[in-house]
Amino acid sequence: MAFSAYLIHLGILSCMYVMLAISLNLALGFTGMLNLGHVAFFGIGAYITAILSMQGLPLWLTCILAIIGGLIAGILLAFPTARLRGDYLALATLGFTFIMAAIARNWQSLTRGALGIPGIPRLVASNEQYLFWISLSTVIVALLVSWLTKSSIGRTLQAIRDDELGAMVLGKNVFAYRMLALGVSASIAALAGFFFAHFITFIDPSVFSIDDLILMFAMVILGGLASNKGSVIGGVIIFLLPEPLRFIGFSSSIVGPARAILFALILIGMLVYRPRGIFGKVDLS
Amino acid sequence: MSSILAQLLLNGLIAGAIYALVAAGFSLICSVMKFMHFAHGGVVAAGAYFLFMFSQWFSPVPAILLALVTTVLFGVFMDWSVYKQLRKRHASNAVLLIASIGLMILTTNLILIGFGADVKTIPLAQHNPVYTILGARITLIQVVIIATSALLFGLLYYLMKCTRLGKALRAVADNNAIAQTVGINPSRMYLATFILGSALGGIAGMLIGLEQNLYPSMGLSLVIKGFTGAVIGGVTSVHGSILGALVLGMVENLGIWYLPSGYKDAIAFVLLFVFLLLKPEGILGKRFERG
Repeated sequence: MAFSAYLIHLGILSCMYVMLAISLNLALGFTGMLNLGHVAFFGIGAYITAILSMQGLPLWLTCILAIIGGLIAGILLAFPTARLRGDYLALATLGFTFIMAAIARNWQSLTRGALGIPGIPRLVASNEQYLFWISLSTVIVALLVSWLTKSSIGRTLQAIRDDELGAMVLGKNVFAYRMLALGVSASIAALAGFFFAHFITFIDPSVFSIDDLILMFAMVILGGLASNKGSVIGGVIIFLLPEPLRFIGFSSSIVGPARAILFALILIGMLVYRPRGIFGKVDLS
Repeated sequence: MSSILAQLLLNGLIAGAIYALVAAGFSLICSVMKFMHFAHGGVVAAGAYFLFMFSQWFSPVPAILLALVTTVLFGVFMDWSVYKQLRKRHASNAVLLIASIGLMILTTNLILIGFGADVKTIPLAQHNPVYTILGARITLIQVVIIATSALLFGLLYYLMKCTRLGKALRAVADNNAIAQTVGINPSRMYLATFILGSALGGIAGMLIGLEQNLYPSMGLSLVIKGFTGAVIGGVTSVHGSILGALVLGMVENLGIWYLPSGYKDAIAFVLLFVFLLLKPEGILGKRFERG
């Protein structure tokens, strides 16, 4: 009985990470934006959910507001970074993550700072039901992104990634497309944050941690850039891989860092030996 | 009031000197090798923790020397095991950058497992007298930090401007292909860059370790300050980065005159963001491209 509860727990978190990997891949793989702000969108979604549901707002409303909050954050980030590419875009989006973490730590009247927000209401009573809802959302997200990337919008995004000037010459509004990609990517990450906040029922500024960013990048790179199938498989594999560590009998103070080390090693190993991952079609440039 | 101002300016100078040491190594590596070495923060943290480890077994001078050598070896090992393999495969900047963030997280967590999450202090600095200048207080270690930084920056300037090695390094930084045609071996220059950069990072880590406490994620917070200073001054210009880091230290400390001190870090990120958007090449640098 306890083991099936554990499996359901893993299923819920796998779904959450699959959503994060799919959405990161939309910006990173399909559009070619080196976005290190993805974890910030996740954190924004989690904080919006936590703060609003503690105010007693109904679930469907906090869900919609979290998604809209992510969308706005993505669009807001797209405006100032419109002219930045490569390393400079990476630095600016990383700076955005740090600014969000600093706000979460310091705006204590809103976020309770480092104490975090405990006692977030659960979405549904049982984890079985929770697994149903998060799986349903993940399937919807996967179908939506898969449709988007196959549509003419997706082809335009890939054209912008491969040859920005060429896309401009064909009359494509590069800025609008990049903003769209970042906005959709951010709102999905915020949805994952919504599920995270209701499942864990506690959040603190560590939701903005760079460790999780490495985890998301490892998932996308392992699965392959610009491959939705890859994101799903990469997300599940990377998330489940360190689970045996729990059964070897290490103390929890070792398991946490050991997980992070494993993710970092996989990421570096993939970048060195197989940069295109399992299903990847393009290189990171 | 004036003594508060003097204290804030002095604190700014001390913070700036520390950030500048981190920024100098970061920007040296960035200017010669054309990628952002985030794991430089890991090298800085390694310097502090190696000194902590060796100072328990040896007297101060051998402990410092041993810590410096092991830190340099650690930095060179990072380059050899990861960056060099990526360069061989002609990996793009983006790949090197993500790999360097991976290395940074790797180092932080290795420290967590090796030394534990609790805060450590290096036992060398028990006797630390306080002096007063113009109403501002400064400790002996802080004087040592400022003096060592000034000395190292002088040495680095001499090395880069007046020696054959410095000229070769600048040639590789300026144009790798032409440097090769005049007989400069870039892989030896990369090695020299990592030795120099990691030595600077290691010294920075040791000085910070003597002045403040050691904690596993210290490298990440320091490299953030370092690259923010470097971006302000110009990532590809070593003296620009030093200037930028001093500006950052000053602005942070003067900023808490108006803002609660918890926002000290946020000031740095906002400055980083503003410079990236308005003047990404920094005060003294040029935009860099990798050929």
